[in-house]
Amino acid sequence: MKRIDAIYHVRGEAEYVDDLPLPAEMLYAEVFASPVAHGKILSLEIKDALALEGIVAVFTADDIPESNQWGTIIADCPLLVKDEVQYIGQPIAIVVGQTRAIAQKATKLIRLEVEELPIIVNPRKAFSQGQIIGTPRIFVLGDVDSAWEECDLIVEGNCEIGGQEHLYLETQRSRVIPLEGNNLRVYSATQNPTLTQKTIAQMLGLSCHAVEVDVKRLGGGFGGKEEQATHWASLAALAAWHTGKPVELVLSRSDDLKMTGKRHPYSSDFKIGVTNEGKILAYEVKHYQNAGAYADLSTAVLERTLFHSTNAYFIPNTRIFAVSCRTNLPPSTAMRGFGGPQAMFVIESAIAKVAETLDISREEIQRKNLLRLGDSFSYGQKIKTNSMRRTWLEAEQTYNLTAISERINHYNASHFETKKGYAVMPICFGISFTASFLNQASALVHVYTDGSVSITTGGVEMGQGLSTKIAAIASKAFGIGLQRIKIESTNTTRIANMSASAASVTTDLNGNATVLAIAQILDRLKALAAKELGVKDTENIAIAKEKVIYAGKETDLTWEHLAKAGNLARINLSAHTFYATPGLEFDRDREKGHPFAYHVCGTAIVEVTLDCLRGIYQIDAVKIVHDLGRSVNELVDRGQVEGGLAQGLGWMTIEDLQFNEKGELLANNLANYKVPDIYFMPDLIDIKFLENDDNSPAPYGSKAVGEPPFMYGIGVFFAIREAMKAFQPQIEFAFTSPLTPERVLCELYADQLRQMNSHGDRIRLK
Amino acid sequence: MTEEEQKLSPKQRSRRNFLGQSLFTAGAAIAAPSLLNSCQNKTVSASNALVEGETMIGLKINGQLKTLNIEPRVTLLDALRENLGLTGSKKGCDHGQCGACTVLIDGQRAYSCLTLAIMQEGNEITTIEGLATEDNLHPVQTAFLENDGFQCGYCTPGQICASVALLEEVNNGSVSYVTRDLTNPPELASLSESEIKERMSGNLCRCSAYNGIVAAVQQAAGQTPPSPAASIEHSQVG
Ligand code: FES
Ligand code: FES
Repeated sequence: MKRIDAIYHVRGEAEYVDDLPLPAEMLYAEVFASPVAHGKILSLEIKDALALEGIVAVFTADDIPESNQWGTIIADCPLLVKDEVQYIGQPIAIVVGQTRAIAQKATKLIRLEVEELPIIVNPRKAFSQGQIIGTPRIFVLGDVDSAWEECDLIVEGNCEIGGQEHLYLETQRSRVIPLEGNNLRVYSATQNPTLTQKTIAQMLGLSCHAVEVDVKRLGGGFGGKEEQATHWASLAALAAWHTGKPVELVLSRSDDLKMTGKRHPYSSDFKIGVTNEGKILAYEVKHYQNAGAYADLSTAVLERTLFHSTNAYFIPNTRIFAVSCRTNLPPSTAMRGFGGPQAMFVIESAIAKVAETLDISREEIQRKNLLRLGDSFSYGQKIKTNSMRRTWLEAEQTYNLTAISERINHYNASHFETKKGYAVMPICFGISFTASFLNQASALVHVYTDGSVSITTGGVEMGQGLSTKIAAIASKAFGIGLQRIKIESTNTTRIANMSASAASVTTDLNGNATVLAIAQILDRLKALAAKELGVKDTENIAIAKEKVIYAGKETDLTWEHLAKAGNLARINLSAHTFYATPGLEFDRDREKGHPFAYHVCGTAIVEVTLDCLRGIYQIDAVKIVHDLGRSVNELVDRGQVEGGLAQGLGWMTIEDLQFNEKGELLANNLANYKVPDIYFMPDLIDIKFLENDDNSPAPYGSKAVGEPPFMYGIGVFFAIREAMKAFQPQIEFAFTSPLTPERVLCELYADQLRQMNSHGDRIRLK
Repeated sequence: MTEEEQKLSPKQRSRRNFLGQSLFTAGAAIAAPSLLNSCQNKTVSASNALVEGETMIGLKINGQLKTLNIEPRVTLLDALRENLGLTGSKKGCDHGQCGACTVLIDGQRAYSCLTLAIMQEGNEITTIEGLATEDNLHPVQTAFLENDGFQCGYCTPGQICASVALLEEVNNGSVSYVTRDLTNPPELASLSESEIKERMSGNLCRCSAYNGIVAAVQQAAGQTPPSPAASIEHSQVG
């Protein structure tokens, strides 16, 4: 089945926020932001900006009638900062003009005087100065301290993990239309319509029902519009509310890069102990998360780091420490994987270090310690599937790992300046929002008298294929053709109190709610059908292929007839239902509980070729066995696996999100922030889906697919590292990501560089 | 207070007052931190009259001649999206770095954010909206549809326009960076995957629907797409 909106996309008709026809007298808002990473605002002069012809207004913190503070977890972030700026790109004022160009011009006429204050960009430094957000968390399993004695080998090390820009191709944007009674309709590219609604209401002192948020689709989100879309929607709303005119705010690419938060950089220490047989007995890790200037979702991201710190392995004694550190960077935020990838990178690094010390292959250790059915995580939950081992074994056999390894060894023995490497990357990812209360969703389903169906859920379509999957689920549940089903925009007047579309669970939650709604309508229609057929046993009535089936036989009653007759018989043809994932709980005092509905597992083998003279590499192949449960739409799922993988590969290799010591983003356009292009993609991506209905509470036994494949990308780091080792076996390489070609060269030729340096050349290791 | 104002909440009233006062004091921007100017200045594109700084130009777009008044510095992309309501072309960067704004100018692909509208007078411009007829998709559109050449769809209009031009370029015997034998340019039927990737590398897709995109170009080139995307069509539920 094709994507439900495919035809609109290929015709260029698909509507995004600013594609809707222009309302009359629309105004354009532009953001004036802080040029320094930390400082006290001494004065702000907006006179010249305001005097520019075509400028309608300039709004600052003083113009916010009620709450200037916002944030889902901790409301610590000002919408417009008044006293002390905390990062470069922090909004201070918005300029509203009759055209975008005029508004842009006027932002340059605002004069700001700031007294600069000391800045922190490094999380460890922040921690040492007590600059933390929330409290440090510690997860414990077994007894690490006494386990060290039983280990035959203990190694320690540290990881420096880079951030990542979402680079959704559609930048942040919102258009706000004033309505009667000072109400607002907000078109926003947000993954979290309810947060946007609430924040605007609180900012303006309105009731939630006065603010309608409508989302048709996003041009990519990847987590970057989960929390942070709300900021821009709120600023547009502020302008629309004051001026009484429609206002549009679209961030330019450079503003978006500068002003919005990214994936969290981490700095982590690990200590790992193994037996001579390669069994991991103890693992201790400390994660210092670079949270940026405000809380945003950092503590939740941190929690997912804690949950995933042992990835796909059972380690009987673990102690995991993690802390969110406040720095003067834009607030780091959600991004695909949500703290899981950083955690997994560290344990994989620890395993690599053990393997390199023992001079054995990484996968020997990985294999020995894989999770088995019933094994416990540090947070107390036991894994209810054996697919971790199943996907590993299947990958090993289907793709013939021994042959790959031999082929690569052979290649390396006969090649000098190019080397190959491979790595196996198992993943085990917990599915559910870790804040249990978020695991709820609603659906609103209408059947019209002509038999057509309208469905609204609390999920947002952002390319993950939600609408397509909901339509497929509905078509199956109703027993009718897809052409009868329309998926509506996500709208706070039709669905209230939504959770964000995030954590890979949007289809699980909203799909389940849809199934419940359809069941209600079907029950009523089946009773009607029974009456018309003159039978009593409604349990023997079904609908398939738009026909009523009784006791396995097709009858003359059609779906269309039922819809019409239902209305005449005064039967409710609509349903609004609610779903909450059962059985989830987590006790933060004990740090134990059952936070996940289930786990998604999979194994990837990544192969690369490295040019050791130039530092450049080619990803030859990524071969994956992924546990997908029963796919609702394999086309969409394959896209999610490939897309997630590509972003993971990019994060580990070419996406170099550098800030300088002034807290200034150096990667400030697409020329110096490189994301995977079509040429970067692996020559071969082989994906095998492990079909499996062992433990998924998702619709029709499907499983979440948005985030887990991202983490296969981590394998590429270790594959390149293997190739580097083959070229320079004596060097101990760092566990620093991303492993850009530049970094590869710097590490391969560290000695030479140091010598050149001592001769006064100005080449430095980053 | 009028009767209508009494129906409003205090907050709403204060907003009214604020607006009233601000409009009153428009221009005197010294005392208050922020103010509203009068909205009576020029209204954007509301009339056909030329505003100072604007020029009238004629553009041939999707077979139709359109006249518009714009400032000479307006890019083709902004003219399409904002003056002509052709919002199929997308702005991903406005700097010629993503390809989302790709259109065809006299059959050749161009980043519409990198060219001024005024420079394109007299040229044939084709946008995503002009590729299909009422009932029939362009073969490249069909190929993207059938090979799942997108996820969020934001890059898609640009990808499709680029692919249309690519086919034409190959037909005209153009070579690329990866063409081995420059005297023997590739043909559509045998256009390799790496040729396709090289020739599509000016269009980013952050969703990374790249496999589908390659498959779509292969299909449009008359090849059988080996991409799995094409072959798993009926394995979904229902
Ligand atoms: S918008 Fe023109 S290339 Fe990005
Ligand atoms: S489909 Fe989302 S950017 Fe290409």
